[in-house]
Amino acid sequence: MENKITQLRKGILELAILGCLSKERHYGYSLVKTISGDTEIDLTEGTIYPILGRLAKEGLVQTEWVESSQGPPRKYYTLTLKGEESFRVLEQEFRKLAAIVANAQSAPDRRARDAGDAHPVLSVTKETNNG
Amino acid sequence: MANGFSGPVAQIVDNYLERLKKGLKGIAVKDQDELVKEIHSHIYESFRGDPTEDEVARILKVLDKLGEPATVISARMPEVMVTLGKKKKLPFLILAGLLIAIFALPLGTSALGVAVGLIIGVLALVLSFYIVAFALILTGWLSAVIMTIRLFSPEFLEPYMDIYPLVPDPTFNTVIYILGALLIAAIGLGMLWLGTRMMRGIRFVFRLLFEKLRSWRKKSAAPAPSPAS
Repeated sequence: MENKITQLRKGILELAILGCLSKERHYGYSLVKTISGDTEIDLTEGTIYPILGRLAKEGLVQTEWVESSQGPPRKYYTLTLKGEESFRVLEQEFRKLAAIVANAQSAPDRRARDAGDAHPVLSVTKETNNG
Repeated sequence: MANGFSGPVAQIVDNYLERLKKGLKGIAVKDQDELVKEIHSHIYESFRGDPTEDEVARILKVLDKLGEPATVISARMPEVMVTLGKKKKLPFLILAGLLIAIFALPLGTSALGVAVGLIIGVLALVLSFYIVAFALILTGWLSAVIMTIRLFSPEFLEPYMDIYPLVPDPTFNTVIYILGALLIAAIGLGMLWLGTRMMRGIRFVFRLLFEKLRSWRKKSAAPAPSPAS
């Protein structure tokens, strides 16, 4: 299960990174802040670096060291043209997939209907556990 | 080390960056430095942005959020290096290989079993090759030494030795044997030299196979997404 979550996260995280960078350039830490926002997302911050490394290798982002007014220099990431193109395609694909997931969730659940009358509480607990 | 921190915080950061560096061994030095610099910057920014009073508690929180060095490294290095570069874990790898070879066939991943079997076979071949080489060198040198002793004081080893007279003159005969022994040792040395060449070749082939296998597995594990329309 752990592995599945990791897989799912990596893909989505990559998309989120591309999305952030499509708006403005970022350095690693600002990217983390932007992605997690105000939410208390349990994000291991270090995971973005392998992803950024791969994106750079694939030529989707380009990097630049910029001196900071305070502290060590920051490594800024910018989307390349290829990166922008990739983001567009991936985002479209993601919307389709999200729609599929939403459809599957709103579909009538036979199990819940059958069990619902007899054990309403039980069926709810079950769903939360499975979800 | 001047890392922008002071006191125990600086030590904690240094320790983290050192561990990170250790994990990066095997990739280009320039890339190592760059990633370490980048993570250093991350730690600095994260530390600065946290209002917690206690500095040590703050840095520990920062590093906890960042994750272990392995998190930062994983998938960054070429996978051949990650898997083959861990030379210290060789015995473990061999054990794992054996286990895979034994259990992989019944588990259905027969290709893997065969591959690991082949690898073990090649390793055994290499090992036996070197054993033969060393045996030849040892035999050759020892024989040469004994023959030389015999050359200068024939009576010393006489009761224990009886060599076939190739030529009537015993001294000349012994010299021939010494040359023969040296030749054997030379063959052993030659095998060692050949071995280094061979190892290079085998390493290359293994790496190539590994890369191919990996890309092939990636392809089969994640088939191209079919158009949803």
